[in-house]
Amino acid sequence: MSDEILLNEAAYAVWQTVRERGPIELGEVVKITGVDQAQVSAAATDASTQGFFKITETFKEELAISEGARALYEAGLPEFLAASKLHQSGGEMAMPEFVEWAKRKNVAVNDIFKWGAARNWIERIKDSSGLRISLTAARRNNPDAIPSDIALLTRMHWHGSCFLDELDSETQPDLIRELLSKRPELAKIKQRTTRSLNLTEKGTGAFKSRNVRQVKERNTLTPEDLESGAWREIKLRPYDVTLAARDVHPAKIHPLRKIIEQTRRAFLEMGFAEVVSPMIESAFWNFDALFQPQDHPARDMQDTFYMRDPAAAPLPGEWDGLQSVHGGPEKGVRIHFPTRQGSANEEMVPDTFVDIVNNVRLTHETGWETGSEGWGYTWSPEVSRQVVLRTHTTAATIRALAANPNPPGKFFCVGWTYRNETISFKHLPVFHQVDGIIIDEEANLASLMGTLQEFYSKMGFGRVKFKPAFYPYTEPSVDVVVYMESRGKWIEMGGAGIFRPEVTLPLGCKYPVLAWGLGIERLAMIRFGLADIRELYRPSLDALEEVPLCR
Amino acid sequence: MPIVNIDLAWLNRLLGKPYETAVLQESLEQIGCDVEDVVEIERSRCPQCGSLVEHPLGQEEMKCCTMCGYESEASFKQVGSQQVMRLDLLADRPDLFDVGGLARALRGTLGIESGLPKYTTKGSSLEVHVDKSVTEKDSHRPFIACAVMTLPPVDETSLAAIMKLQENLHWGVGRDRKLASIGVYDFSTITGPINYTTIDPDKDPFVPLGMPGKKMTGRQILESHPKGMAYAELLAQHKRYPVLVDSKGQVLSMPPIINSEETKVKQGTTRVFIDVTGISRAAVTKSLDTLVCSLAEIGGTIETVQVIHHDDTTNTTPDLQPRTAAIELSEAKRWLGLPLDEVSLAASLRRMRFDVGERGARSEERVQSKKTSLLTPHSSPLTVSFPAYRTDIRHMVDLFEDVAIGFGYANIEPRLVKSMTVGAPRPEEVLSDRARQVLIGLGFSEIMSLPLTTEEQQFERLRMLAPERYPQVANPKLKAYNVVRTHLMGGLMEALRENRRRVMPLRFFEIDNTAGLDEAAITGASEERRVAFVEIGRESGYATARSTVDSLLRELGWQPTYAAIDHPTFVPGRAATLTVAGQEIGILGEVHPEVLTNFGLTYPVAMAEITLQRIF
Repeated sequence: MSDEILLNEAAYAVWQTVRERGPIELGEVVKITGVDQAQVSAAATDASTQGFFKITETFKEELAISEGARALYEAGLPEFLAASKLHQSGGEMAMPEFVEWAKRKNVAVNDIFKWGAARNWIERIKDSSGLRISLTAARRNNPDAIPSDIALLTRMHWHGSCFLDELDSETQPDLIRELLSKRPELAKIKQRTTRSLNLTEKGTGAFKSRNVRQVKERNTLTPEDLESGAWREIKLRPYDVTLAARDVHPAKIHPLRKIIEQTRRAFLEMGFAEVVSPMIESAFWNFDALFQPQDHPARDMQDTFYMRDPAAAPLPGEWDGLQSVHGGPEKGVRIHFPTRQGSANEEMVPDTFVDIVNNVRLTHETGWETGSEGWGYTWSPEVSRQVVLRTHTTAATIRALAANPNPPGKFFCVGWTYRNETISFKHLPVFHQVDGIIIDEEANLASLMGTLQEFYSKMGFGRVKFKPAFYPYTEPSVDVVVYMESRGKWIEMGGAGIFRPEVTLPLGCKYPVLAWGLGIERLAMIRFGLADIRELYRPSLDALEEVPLCR
Repeated sequence: MPIVNIDLAWLNRLLGKPYETAVLQESLEQIGCDVEDVVEIERSRCPQCGSLVEHPLGQEEMKCCTMCGYESEASFKQVGSQQVMRLDLLADRPDLFDVGGLARALRGTLGIESGLPKYTTKGSSLEVHVDKSVTEKDSHRPFIACAVMTLPPVDETSLAAIMKLQENLHWGVGRDRKLASIGVYDFSTITGPINYTTIDPDKDPFVPLGMPGKKMTGRQILESHPKGMAYAELLAQHKRYPVLVDSKGQVLSMPPIINSEETKVKQGTTRVFIDVTGISRAAVTKSLDTLVCSLAEIGGTIETVQVIHHDDTTNTTPDLQPRTAAIELSEAKRWLGLPLDEVSLAASLRRMRFDVGERGARSEERVQSKKTSLLTPHSSPLTVSFPAYRTDIRHMVDLFEDVAIGFGYANIEPRLVKSMTVGAPRPEEVLSDRARQVLIGLGFSEIMSLPLTTEEQQFERLRMLAPERYPQVANPKLKAYNVVRTHLMGGLMEALRENRRRVMPLRFFEIDNTAGLDEAAITGASEERRVAFVEIGRESGYATARSTVDSLLRELGWQPTYAAIDHPTFVPGRAATLTVAGQEIGILGEVHPEVLTNFGLTYPVAMAEITLQRIF
């Protein structure tokens, strides 16, 4: 039934009590039902708002006897002690004598005068014989009369409270108010609002049509409630759903890893095969294969980490690490290499592979068949065998190009790269880069730009523009500038270009190769709004929890 | 990368009319010059050497001279301010390092003037005699090229600009004076002919720039002059020091360190002598050609100098004849993917201040004379003439870039290659992704730590003995980075230390590569993808590590067997190796209390590390 009134146990008890005893004071309901005052009050207010109860508020003076009042009375209130003394002294005493007495009895003279006067028992008389203190005539005539306030308190057995408004006029409520209102050690008089509850017509009607039903209310359900079906009679208490709950944080992927994963996904979606190369790399693949002359400043000890151990790496074709496993020399070299499927770890590389070193050497020295003049110096295999911590992931894509020189091919690598730098808010000696290449008959500057546009759009940058740049192993070279909505400005994001023929031809690739790269940490700092690159590697849980997955 | 301040008013004067800054900025970006910002700068004068030094308005005032290194307590005297454009130098284009060169390029892109800029030279009577000693092994600086220039009377601004250009050419071409260094002198203080020779480091003192009245020998300069100390290394192997001396025995300079005070260029100088010396002929020529062409752009006229070598051969410098190279339209179209024809190709190149000659015209020059395998022989190439200062043109593809820039990167329509390729992740990434899902599901938070570390962090703090050999860096700038990590446990323990005040328990994992030494690996170092985790809390121990490992391997579909192992990092009797398919791939256990105290931890820790895949 839609107009059924479902009440929890407490409210139901209130409704019942009001029906039976109304009008009834709220305090009475509390006493009768045993439901606590707040709940009774809430139920009554609810019922009143819905028109079932009428609440009548009246304001009353409550007299509440203070704790210890009886002891004070029994020990003798100052005016009682003084009246009795005066009585014994024949009704009056000279002031100094009286004060002397009070002092001895440790009774405050002020209190005696204050309350003695209030009760009209004691007065001061000043005449030719000096200042005297005296019982009033009224008290003299009626020395044992119990004043009305004390009478009331005694009647109440010095305990509890009553409403002054409810006293008979014989008990002299006004006098009592006057006498006790400023004597909190005996009793306190407070203004009270009492609320009287009664059913309205609508309320009575609800009972008449048997629409008032009781349901149990609980904070939680027990398995028993659910099994027995008792839940049907149980109402789960509603909560203030706007309040905060306890803070919890999920375990999650590292923010930087998330960006790496997003980058990998962008490449995979665009049909790129993932490749890897050793972090501990030969100078040949890190520099020489990219046509970086052996005296190039980037190869300085100042900028590049060189390995003490391993100190030298074999050049391509010299490496026979697996030959012993496979039983002796073979034509070509079985090499542990990224392949297009990314699954197998080794493959037979073409015979031309062993020519690569020679081609690279000649290209550096004279330009070989690349149409270039080369660098015009004597190339040293020793320098090329030096082992470095790779300075860019281009070392990985160039290895992939050497292993797969024929179109079409698309490869990418995300990984650690190293620069011999000190630490600052801007630089770490180790960071991540991503590099991608496309080997294709249609590879050209326009398709480079198209690819970059697509890639950066997958990385969350819808607006991209390109400007000329300089990179030593690409020609033309491009800088990618992206528009950051959140900052409202264009920022430089990464480099790109077409590998120079001095790079591609020695590896046996006769087609333009598109190449681009990007620093992952820089991207992450922009995305997370960090000013300090070191923040990315602080393993503090507080910091890790702070970055939401949506960023 | 250095930044150069370009005086806007001067640039506009050279362009012939004032352009809006935004227009210039846009135009410069099109040719690859990054405009950092446009600011007001102040100039002040070094009381020691008299050089003008620049600093942005509002920044701390100059107290240290960038020219001679002089430092003073008080700020230098200010001589005025100006609006400048701050540009990032483009390393391979020294011809865009100064206001004159930029104006020349901008006249092309703004359409004011196009095609090859012409530089005429006339002969000066000056001779420079090269002594044999500069070619000797222990006083080696064999190459020299010189010029004489007449300039509009040098003032504060042009003096500062000339010195800045010189400094930037040292950076961009001379590789910080190592390959080539430039000297500029007031011609009126010199009496020709000039000798390029060497001196005894301890004899023939002269007054170096910035030290008026103080005669110093070569060695004294290297030991106590600011510039001498800064560049002493360049002469460290020299028994005799190179010098230029005029016919009266006056020292002009001691390259590549310093000029003499007496011959310095001053306000009002109208004629200068320029020398470039070095150990790379290409860098020497490039420096001189670039410098004189840029000075010609700001009103100078160029005169040649006869350089007479010790074997009596003579050459005349500078040689500003345009160079030529071949370009093939079909190759340019293939490389750039642009809808080019001969007309638009030529127009693009002319905007870049090149000229394009007749099809098939013969050229003496290098690029065309070589057979290039890029060229398909079905058409004959066009000949491109380019200015001497464009020494960055070493291949036809370098011309392609200028074609593209002249065409305008913004005018290129991006497209995609049409070929079909299949995306494929690396197998260790697939495994890593699975492991990551499992561990996050078990409440472990991922951390990332740097793969460079120290012996202490890698071995000692984990109670391990450093092995005899491990991947070691030879030259780290920071000592904290001399080991390539061989396991992931140090980073994870560090993460616990960092979070030790948090409410326990805590769980972390890391998935990344580790390295090792292995002569069978392609570079002598192996690399593995590993996963490792730690857990700290009252309940943590071998059993909880084991539960996590079991759960991880179950999800990976691997069946492990466990065997007890003694490992210094773990509590004796509470560590195990784990073997899958006959290969030992990991370790797990309860961390040794001494290790815990090494990391300031006060609860037990469970830890494990497992190899997911060997990569190299």
